[in-house]
Amino acid sequence: MKLLLLIIASISCYANSFDFKIKPIKLTENSYYVYGKEEYFSKQNGGDIANSAFIITKNSVILIDTGSSVEYGQQLKKAIKKITNKPIKYIINTHHHPDHFLGNYAFKDVKIYATKHTKDDIKNNGELYISNIVNLVGKAAYTTKVKAPNSLLEKKELVLDGYKLKVLYLNGHTKSDIVIYDEKTKILYASDLVFNNRALATPHANLHDWIKTLEKLKTIDFKVLVAGHGKASYDKKVLDENIFYLNYLDTTLKNAVKQGFDTFEILEQAHPKEVQNYSMFKEEFERSIINLYPKYENQ
Amino acid sequence: MRLLLFFISTFLLSSSLFAKNPIFSPTFDDLIKQTIGSEKYIFDDKNIQIKVPNFADNPVQVPIYVNASKIKDAQKMILFADLNPIPRIIDMQTTKILPVISINIKVAQETPLRALVLDSKGIWHIGSKNIRSNGGGCDVSSQASTNSDFAKFLGKTKGKVFKKKDKNRIKASIFHPMETGLIFGNVEFYINTIKIQNDKELLSTIKTSSAISENPRFIFEIKDKINFLDNDGNDFELEL
Repeated sequence: MKLLLLIIASISCYANSFDFKIKPIKLTENSYYVYGKEEYFSKQNGGDIANSAFIITKNSVILIDTGSSVEYGQQLKKAIKKITNKPIKYIINTHHHPDHFLGNYAFKDVKIYATKHTKDDIKNNGELYISNIVNLVGKAAYTTKVKAPNSLLEKKELVLDGYKLKVLYLNGHTKSDIVIYDEKTKILYASDLVFNNRALATPHANLHDWIKTLEKLKTIDFKVLVAGHGKASYDKKVLDENIFYLNYLDTTLKNAVKQGFDTFEILEQAHPKEVQNYSMFKEEFERSIINLYPKYENQ
Repeated sequence: MRLLLFFISTFLLSSSLFAKNPIFSPTFDDLIKQTIGSEKYIFDDKNIQIKVPNFADNPVQVPIYVNASKIKDAQKMILFADLNPIPRIIDMQTTKILPVISINIKVAQETPLRALVLDSKGIWHIGSKNIRSNGGGCDVSSQASTNSDFAKFLGKTKGKVFKKKDKNRIKASIFHPMETGLIFGNVEFYINTIKIQNDKELLSTIKTSSAISENPRFIFEIKDKINFLDNDGNDFELEL
C-alpha cells in the first residue's frame, strides 16, 4: 500500500511541470539561440513555438525574447546556467506578441528593454494574452504572470555591461518590431520580421510596411540571421522568400476584391509551390486571409 | 424476395428521415422548437453545403458560407449557432433569391452552426457544421463604436454586383457596430432588416441579428437594389 501511494505521488509530481527539453544551439563562441517548434500553441508543445536567443558577454548574459510562459522562462534560465554562471542581467522584448515576452516573469533583477509601443501593449493586453494562452496550452501556462518591460529602448546603440549592440526600429509584423544586430559576430536577431520556411503570422501586420522592412534588412551584412520562427539562416535568400510570401498574400487579396470572392474561394484557390512549402501554411494562410480580407474589401 | 426488397427500401427511407443529429448539443432541441415550432425537419448535410474555418482564431470575425441551392424551391433559410448567447443569425426569404449566404459572425465558444432550409413541401432541411474556436466573441464591444469617427461613417454602404456563370452575386457592406448589448453600458444596436428589391418588386426580406460581425459584409446571389434597416429605425440605401 505504501508503495502504491509513493508511485501515485511521484506521477502527479512529474505531471506538474511541462518539460520543454530546451537545448540551446550554438551559433558562435558566445551566441546561442533556442529553436521553437514550427507549430501553433498546443497542450502537447506547451507553447514552445517561438525562438529565443542569448549572448554571453564578459560579465553577464543578454537574453532576446523569453518564450510564452513563466515555465518556459524558468527552464530557459536553467539551460543557460548549464552553459555559463554569469547572471542574466538584460532582456530585450522584440515585440508585443505573447510567445516572445510571457517568460519575462521568470527573471528577477533584470533590465527588460522594449519600445514604448511594445511596453504599452504588454501592459494593456498582457492579461488577455495570458487567458488566451492558458486556453490553448493548459498547464504549462498556469503560473504565468505579466512582467512588463521596465527600460525604454530609444537609441540606435545599446551598450550593456560594455557590450555593444545595434538596435533597428522597424515595423510591419507589428507596429513596432526590434531587430538587434551584433556587429562583432555578424549575427542579426530579426525576431518575427523573418519566418524561416514557416508561414508568416500576420494578426497585427501591415504587409506593405513589412515588405519595406525586409528590403532594408537585405542591406545588412550579416552572416547568420536568427528568425523569430524557423531555423537560423546563413543565407539572405530567406528575406526574398518572405517578401515573395507577403507579396503573394497582398496580390491574392487584391484579386479577390476585384473578383468578388468569398473567404473560402480564396482559401480553396491553387497556391504556388513556394508558399505551400512553408510549414504551417494552411493554418497561417487561413488566419491571414480571415483577418486581412475585411480590410482589403473596405479600402 | 419482394418482401426483402420492400423491407430494405423502407429501412433506407426511414433511416434518412430520422438521420441522427450529426452534432449533438444540449440546446438544439429547444432552439429548433423556438424556431420552427412542431414543423417537420430532417438532417440533410448532403444538400446543404456549409463552410467554416478549420479553426476560428478570431472569434469576432468568423467567416461562414452556406449554399443550399440543391434544395429546389427553397422558401426560407434560417441560420443559428447552438451555443451562442444570441443563437439566431439570419432569417431570409429565398423564393426569389438563391439560398446562399456568406457573412462573418461572432462566436462565444466552440459551437455547431445550423442552416435550416424550408422546401416547397413544408419540410425543413437542416445542415450542420461545427465551428472550432476558443470563443469570446460575443461579449466584447465592437471596435467600430469605439472609433471616434463612428458617427461620420455610420451607415456608409458599399456594394457591387459580380456576374458569375449562371447567377449574379451581390456583395454589400455597411459600416455598423452591430452591438450585442451583452456588455454593461452598451445598448444593443444592429442591422435587423435587409430588403432586396428590383424596380418592380420586393425580392427578399432578410432579418438579421447582432450575432453578425461588426461592419457586416454580405454576399447574396441576386441582382438590383438592396436596403439596410437597423433596430433604431435608421434606413440606409444602396443602389447597384
